[in-house]
Amino acid sequence: MRKKKKDLDYNQQAQQNEYLAKEKAKIKKNKQKNKPIILITYIMVAVFIWLIGYIIYFMEFKAESIIANSRNIRHDNFADVVERGDIITSDGVVIATSNTDADGVTTRSYPYGNMFAHVVGYDSYGKAGLELQGNFYMLRSNINIFEKLYKELMEEKNRGDNLITTIDYALQEAAYNALGGCDGAVIAIEPDTGKIRVMVSKPDYDPNNIDDVWSYLQSDEGADSSILLNRATQGMYAPGSTFKVVSLLEYIRENPDDYEDYTYECVGESIFDSVRIHCSNQKVHGYENIDECLANSCNCAFADMGTTFDYDSYKATAEDLLFNSELPYQGDYSGSVFDIDGDSRKDELPQTVIGQGNTEITPLHNAMIMCAIANDGVLMQPYLMEEIENDDGGSVKKFPEKKYGQLITEDEAEILTEYLKGVCEYGTASGYMSGLSYEVAGKTGTAEYDDEGHTNSWFVGFSNPDDPDLVICVIVEDYSSNGVSATYVARQIFDVLYQ
Amino acid sequence: MINIICEISKYIVLIFMVLYTFKCFSIMASKDEDEREKKLRAQVVYIFLIHFFCYLILYLRLQEIKILIFYGIQFTIMIFYRMVYHAVYKDASKLLTNNMIFLMMIGYIILTRLEFGLAIKQFLFATVGLLITAFFPVIMLKWKKLKDMGVVYGIIGIFLLLSVFIPGIGYEMYGSRNWIQIGGFSMQPMEFVKILFVFFVASMLVKVDTFKDLLINAIISAAFMGILVIEKDLGAAVIFYITYVFMVYLATSRISFLIGGLSLGVGGVTLGYLLFKNTLFQHVLVRVEAWKNPFAYIDTGGYQVSQSLFALGTGGYTGSGLTQGKAHTIPVSESDFVFSAICEEMGVIFGLALILVFVSIFISYVNVAMKCRIPFYKYLAFGFGCIFIIQSLLNIGGVTKFIPSTGVTLPLVSYGVTSVLSTLIIFAVVQGVFVITNKEAMKNEKEKERLGLQPASSTK
Repeated sequence: MRKKKKDLDYNQQAQQNEYLAKEKAKIKKNKQKNKPIILITYIMVAVFIWLIGYIIYFMEFKAESIIANSRNIRHDNFADVVERGDIITSDGVVIATSNTDADGVTTRSYPYGNMFAHVVGYDSYGKAGLELQGNFYMLRSNINIFEKLYKELMEEKNRGDNLITTIDYALQEAAYNALGGCDGAVIAIEPDTGKIRVMVSKPDYDPNNIDDVWSYLQSDEGADSSILLNRATQGMYAPGSTFKVVSLLEYIRENPDDYEDYTYECVGESIFDSVRIHCSNQKVHGYENIDECLANSCNCAFADMGTTFDYDSYKATAEDLLFNSELPYQGDYSGSVFDIDGDSRKDELPQTVIGQGNTEITPLHNAMIMCAIANDGVLMQPYLMEEIENDDGGSVKKFPEKKYGQLITEDEAEILTEYLKGVCEYGTASGYMSGLSYEVAGKTGTAEYDDEGHTNSWFVGFSNPDDPDLVICVIVEDYSSNGVSATYVARQIFDVLYQ
Repeated sequence: MINIICEISKYIVLIFMVLYTFKCFSIMASKDEDEREKKLRAQVVYIFLIHFFCYLILYLRLQEIKILIFYGIQFTIMIFYRMVYHAVYKDASKLLTNNMIFLMMIGYIILTRLEFGLAIKQFLFATVGLLITAFFPVIMLKWKKLKDMGVVYGIIGIFLLLSVFIPGIGYEMYGSRNWIQIGGFSMQPMEFVKILFVFFVASMLVKVDTFKDLLINAIISAAFMGILVIEKDLGAAVIFYITYVFMVYLATSRISFLIGGLSLGVGGVTLGYLLFKNTLFQHVLVRVEAWKNPFAYIDTGGYQVSQSLFALGTGGYTGSGLTQGKAHTIPVSESDFVFSAICEEMGVIFGLALILVFVSIFISYVNVAMKCRIPFYKYLAFGFGCIFIIQSLLNIGGVTKFIPSTGVTLPLVSYGVTSVLSTLIIFAVVQGVFVITNKEAMKNEKEKERLGLQPASSTK
């Protein structure tokens, strides 16, 4: 009896052992089998952590600039609860402001009317200028939370943040007045920061009456009008003699060792590659060193240099200076054109070297080239929005200055600066730019725009060449009729800067 | 006053969303049965609070009584479904049910906001789908032959895929020929084929002994993907391919298949793209360009993604509040771009939590697969986990510019009758695997008991 029980126990023990061994093997096998699942799970979890990290990165660092995109229709939603903020110049003058009446209807007004027309733009008809560029920021309110809650409870609109622009009121006023009744444009940029201090374009309009302007443009007589065109950034002009800076740079690059030895005997006019070139006003410059060639803006001397140019290299130099390329500028602009290359005919060159031919440039771009020269060859991106402040004046966001890149070498910038100083000391700009309390380096230009001798007047240059303060570029259209020289306009602005 | 209630409700929703997400993971970590049960109940409460406050906002903003009625019906049906389902299937995973209900509710909320009619349609079909799929676990338990029908799955699958080329019923939409229409009903066969495909691969892999078997399997699988490429349904082709490689890796345990398979995929896509980008894959080129810089193509191929990014960024972390954004202006915001609509109005925090919920669902699928010791069912659960998570990744990644957009839906949330039905089937099959695994475990327990290894009274 006892033995039988023991047998049974023994039997069960065996079965148990067998079962446990089997079970153990199964568990081990399953564990082995699960290894790929675990690996795949880790991979997928890692990918999703990456995705989440990416979204957070997007929200923290990318979203702000993306949603400020003027194509984001969501901005208008904010306008229901926020009263659009002001636009204020860097010296504290309010140039665009909002008023909300008792019914909650907000109207936009511009205390200085035409003076800031193109740079400030307008807030209706699809928006333009800073009203477009800074739209998003001015429709956000960063006032303190209690005021915000209070206004929300009262169902009143919150005051939007104010946009501080880089534009300087005093300089803008000087430029606006100096240009007077002439058509043309002025742009002034701080070369070491890229801040745009002046932006004037004429003809202009009064943004307070944008409805009238719009209906005028829809009418027959206004159909061809270009008053909405910001000539400072979108006006395409022949660069005229201001392009000699580019040609001179090319000559220096092709003759690095002996460019200083260049001399030319100017007889007023001459033929280069079957093209007749003459100096302006039939002037005969006589014997010239290279610095005098630039200072006198001698067409014949430059046409002569041009006969030695390698076309591809010339094109590369122009493109180093951002011809035929995108400009680092946030607003609307036109791109500049330079169409000489290895396949060009020889007789296209003489005109191109002196800035006629097919070359086209905007005042903005011309100023940018001069900025690079003034800033040791480094171009800072020009910008208009300096800072966002809440309604109490607290800083919300500062727009940083951004380096675009080295367009030319530091040495090249230094050499060109020396020659540009000569233009103002004893050359074509000396009438307005010499003997002042401050020093100026720059280049004048007179560019023909038709076959009847009508010309535009250019000046592009900077003050205080040892530590440049301000680059100014001026174009006065139809100088041949109105007699207002661009150099004169630039001088008025410099005078206000240094008064 | 309405403003304030809606604003406060928005933050309450965010808080409960975060709590819900947290519970998804903490439930998986807790071993104690009582504690799990408690957390699962808390989850249900969170779901219905989120649901309630969202519909409160929708009602206050839109002031339409039909919204309240719709809310009431949803609430009743969901409570009823969950109670009955778990009364019948005592072994089913409540976590899976909770997550399934949760995703459906989020879908109803955002669809109600975007287009009421679509929400109703989605609700009707999903409810029918719930009824049908409720029988899946019992069918799987009874019908053991499922794993032997690999050839049948393959043939039906390929036939269904080819149906879009039948003139008269197949048609093209959004650049892909992947729709058919029969008697007023439109559907994407691919949504069902992906289920058949996983069944097919799982059943073939169970029997794979030699390299030759594997090769035959690969050739048939390649036929599936080839047809999808010809349909220009590249999103689906990617889902199928990666799922296939992962499943083969699971069945063979050979890492070389994983690395080789993925490299082959990347190489094939690159080569195909370079060779045919201007002909067959023109639409891919457009999407890749739009992905690289959507704002440069904002008027053409980049429009959707630009709008989506505007929505995300402008909505911000806490969102504009339901109905307060412009979510309806994002193209196909009710379907492929539903994630952007959710982020814009309910907040990016909500969106991020939703991503984590998707990840947790994948992990719970994978847990089911790991527990299961019967290869066929193991492969099924794992394969469906892959389908589910890769589709979610393609969708969310596509609308956030993480990867080029491929035009796939967000499971259970996006509008789409076929998409919802197929996802419900996937949930049901995984639930079935879970039930089968539990039954097996129970058998094991009984065996142990019989052998006197573990007295029945030892539990608690």
